Amino acid sequence: MQRVVITGMGAVTPLGLGATATWSAMREGRVAIGPITSMPRDGLRFGIAAEVQGFDPLAHFEEKKLILLDRVSQFALVAAREAIAQSGIDFAADGLGENTAVVIGTGIGGEQTHDEASRRLYAENNPRTHPLTIVRLMANAPASQICIEHKLTGPSFATSSACASANHALAQAFHMVRSGVADAAVAGGSEACITLGVIRAWEAMRVMADDTCRPFSRQRRGMVLGEGAAVFVLETLERAQRRGAAILAEFAGAGMSADAGDIVFPSEAGAAKAIARALADGGIGIDEVGYVNAHGTGTPANDPTESKAIRRVFGAHADALAVSSTKSMHAHALGAAGAIELVATIGALRDGVAPPTMNFLDPDPECDLDYVANAARERPVRAALSNSFAFGGLNAVLALRRAP
Amino acid sequence: MSSVQDTVFDIIAKESGIDRARITPDATLKDLEIQSLDAVQIIFEIEDHFKITMPDRDPKFDTESVKGLIETVEKLLAEQATQPVP
Repeated sequence: MQRVVITGMGAVTPLGLGATATWSAMREGRVAIGPITSMPRDGLRFGIAAEVQGFDPLAHFEEKKLILLDRVSQFALVAAREAIAQSGIDFAADGLGENTAVVIGTGIGGEQTHDEASRRLYAENNPRTHPLTIVRLMANAPASQICIEHKLTGPSFATSSACASANHALAQAFHMVRSGVADAAVAGGSEACITLGVIRAWEAMRVMADDTCRPFSRQRRGMVLGEGAAVFVLETLERAQRRGAAILAEFAGAGMSADAGDIVFPSEAGAAKAIARALADGGIGIDEVGYVNAHGTGTPANDPTESKAIRRVFGAHADALAVSSTKSMHAHALGAAGAIELVATIGALRDGVAPPTMNFLDPDPECDLDYVANAARERPVRAALSNSFAFGGLNAVLALRRAP
Repeated sequence: MSSVQDTVFDIIAKESGIDRARITPDATLKDLEIQSLDAVQIIFEIEDHFKITMPDRDPKFDTESVKGLIETVEKLLAEQATQPVP
């Protein structure tokens, strides 16, 4: 079994265009949630989200290429370019690209393409559907486009598990590199889900906040939708050291579980099982862990359930953990959430800084951990976890260690 | 029994699959063992039937009594009736 490390990361998020900008904003506690600007707000119940701002597709893609790309693939491609450039990896050398995996999670896929096609068909009664609708909206488009652009021909696919899609993608990529099925991997998640149809669907579930996202706080009123992508380069420690690459973090383990219970209500046992499996998979003792990037959606149900699950696994050490939800800043990017939160987790390991849970008002007696309320905190972190617990009861937790 | 109450009882019974005879105005949705997703569907069907929008608050459906739901519907219908026709 190989040790696996992360040598590149890229991100396109509401907090910034780029992984460095995104992490800096998290350290500063900048909140990117605000009134939706990409559509008229009169059809919306609340009309708030965290949108990627200042992203100009034509700055990144030729017009001829752009016609093939939904926003979800644009985000993924730009994030992948940044990650690959940072890693300095050369896929053309020694046939590495032939056995490099690409795994990109997305909860919804090419939603804007789907929305536009539906509008033309149903609202305008226009029977002419664009011939590239399928290649733009298919859920594997982000993964396929990354393969094509970087000529990567290893095992490649999309994962879809709603809000855990990115963590499932990263877990698959990690296990392939660790076992030697793939020599390297490009993996992460992407989502561009802010359309009228998706927002209305989430509002109809009555789990959305009308003010902002306040995870673990007594006054929390629900989740807020976000969007974006983050992508990482995974390779073996041996290769990274041989080529003298700067190692961002060690990818130590991944744990997954299914609640097999309620389709939406989270399960403490299911979440605890995924956390415990991630620690066991990575050979990490509970005392080693200093930071947990929580799923922390800010819904009434998630936050106490997740807090109890953490306490169940960590016991007394739970009180020594810094636990934060960066969704309070970048909101919930569904299938990209775990990837964006891995930027935070890597930042915590590298800089020794736990990013904050912003918008925190009063504590909730049912959420009794240290949530790093409203300001980042310096503290050395040797090992860290990143939690994702999806609707549908599908859980995926990543375990990382500081770079060796 | 008011017609609003009658309709709300019908919707709760249909959406949750419980025996209509168990439903009383004082019962909470928790008493009736109605899950949160069923509760959201019940609200949706009530809104759709009466063409109203129920207030969106923290979804603590388990503490809400059936009577509370009925009163909210009646209040919204009364507000609708007093609004000038555009």
